[in-house]
Amino acid sequence: MSLGTMTRLELRRLAVRPLAWTLAALTGAWLAWTFTLGLGQFLGAQVRLAALADAPGFTDLVAIPLLAELVKLSFLVVPLMTMASLAGERRAGTLALLWSTGLAPWRIVLGKYLAVLVWLALWLLLTLAMPLAVGAQGQADWGKLAAATLGTALTLATLAAIGLACSAATSVPAIAAAMALIISLALWTVDRGAQAAGVSGGFLEWLTLATHLQNLLRGLVVSSDLAWFALAISLALILATRRLAADRERS
Amino acid sequence: MTASPFLNIQGVSRRRAGRAAVSGLSLHLNRGEVLGLLGVNGAGKSTTLAMLAGALRPDSGHILLDGQRLDERPALARDTVGWLPESAPLWPELSVDEHLMAFARLRGRSKRDARRLADAMLDRLQLGDLRRRLAGVLSQGQRQRLGLACALVHEPPLLILDEPANALDPVQVAELRRLVRERAAAGSAVILSTHVLAEVVAVCDRVAILHEGCLRHDARLGDHAALEKTFFGIATGATP
Repeated sequence: MSLGTMTRLELRRLAVRPLAWTLAALTGAWLAWTFTLGLGQFLGAQVRLAALADAPGFTDLVAIPLLAELVKLSFLVVPLMTMASLAGERRAGTLALLWSTGLAPWRIVLGKYLAVLVWLALWLLLTLAMPLAVGAQGQADWGKLAAATLGTALTLATLAAIGLACSAATSVPAIAAAMALIISLALWTVDRGAQAAGVSGGFLEWLTLATHLQNLLRGLVVSSDLAWFALAISLALILATRRLAADRERS
Repeated sequence: MTASPFLNIQGVSRRRAGRAAVSGLSLHLNRGEVLGLLGVNGAGKSTTLAMLAGALRPDSGHILLDGQRLDERPALARDTVGWLPESAPLWPELSVDEHLMAFARLRGRSKRDARRLADAMLDRLQLGDLRRRLAGVLSQGQRQRLGLACALVHEPPLLILDEPANALDPVQVAELRRLVRERAAAGSAVILSTHVLAEVVAVCDRVAILHEGCLRHDARLGDHAALEKTFFGIATGATP
C-alpha cells in the first residue's frame, strides 16, 4: 500500500509542476513538426518509392524516425524530470519525513520510478498517436513498429533509472541532471573509440545503449538486448536504493 | 514491579559531520508525560529527535518503544511516532489537504480512515479555510501549523516536536500549548524541543538538558527561575 501511496504522491507532484507540462508541450510541438515533415517527405517520394522492388514504407521512413527523435529528446527531458525526485526531497528536508513513516528505501525509489514511468509512458503514447493515426489506414508494418516502440520504452525506462540514481547521489537537482545527462550520453557512445579503430563486437559494443536500441528499431527483438535493458535498469535502481539507505546511516 | 517506560533510550550515540552529536544518551518517558528538551545550538537536540522519529539510525545504543526496538521494526516509527522537524519541511506542490491525506496514508491508514483523520485535524488546527491552498504559498506560521497537523494526523502515542512555536503568533502559541496538554491527557508521550524556557515551564512535566551531546540534567520541572539557573549553569559551563 505504501508503494502505491508513494507513487500517487509523486505523480500528483509531477502533475502540478510547471516543468512537466512545459516539457510535454515543447517536445510535443517539436515531435509533431518532425512527424509532419517526415510525412510530407514520405508522401512526396511515393512515385519514386513505387518504382523500387523492396522500398521502405511508412514505418521505416516516418514512424521509426519519429521514435528515434523522441529518444534523442529524452536525453535532455528525462534528467530534467528526475533531477528533483530525490535530490529535491533531500534538500527540502522532506526525505527525513519519509524515513519517519517507516518506508523502506526501495519503496521510495520504486514509487518515484513508477511515477516517472507513468509520465514517460504518456509522453510516448502521445508521440505514438501520430504514426498510429496514419498507420491505421493500412500502411504500417505493425511488428516492426511494436519492436521499435518496445525499444523506445526500454530506453526511456533505462534513462529514468539512471536519472533517479543520479538524483539519489546529490542534494542539488541541477547537479543530478548534469550527471544523468553525461552518464546517459557516455552510455550511448561508449564504443565510439572502438568503432573509430575499426574494432567491433567487443565488450564496449555490448555496453553501448545504442547497440541494443538499434536492433529493436530495426524490428529485431533479441533476448540479449532485453536482458541488457533489464540489467541496466536494475543496476541503476539498486544503486539509488543503496545510496538512499546510506543516508539514514551517514547524514 | 514497575512497568517499563513507553519510550526507553538506552546509551544512544550518533556521530554527525565527524563529531559526536549525541553521546551515550539514556532517557525514558512515560505515556501522558511532556518532556521539555533544552540545549544550546548544536547540543544534539535535533539529532536526538531525528533518531527517535526513525529518520536517523543510532551508531550505538537502542531506542525502545513500548518495549520493542525501533531499529528492528521500522514500522514501529510509522505507527507510533508523530514528528514535526525544525522548520516544518513540506512539499510546496501539494495542498494542505493533500499533505494530511498523504501523511495519514503513508502512516498506514486506509483511505476512508485517512479522510476522517485529515478532516478532524483540519478542524482542530483551524486549517479548514486553507485546505485547498498549496503549501508553497502558505505563511511561515501556517506552514508550522500544517507541519504540526501532519505530525498529529495519525494520532500517534509519541509526539516529537522540534521548535513547534517557531513563527506562531501569541494566540497560536497558546493554542499549541493547549494541544500539547490535550495530547498528553489523551495518553500520548510528548517531547518538546525548544530554546524558549518559558515554553517548557508552560507545558512540560519534566525537563532534560543536553549539552555537547550529553544529558546533563533530567528532573521534574521546578519554577522558571530554578530552570533558568540550571540551564545557564550548564550552557556556560558554570555547572560541572
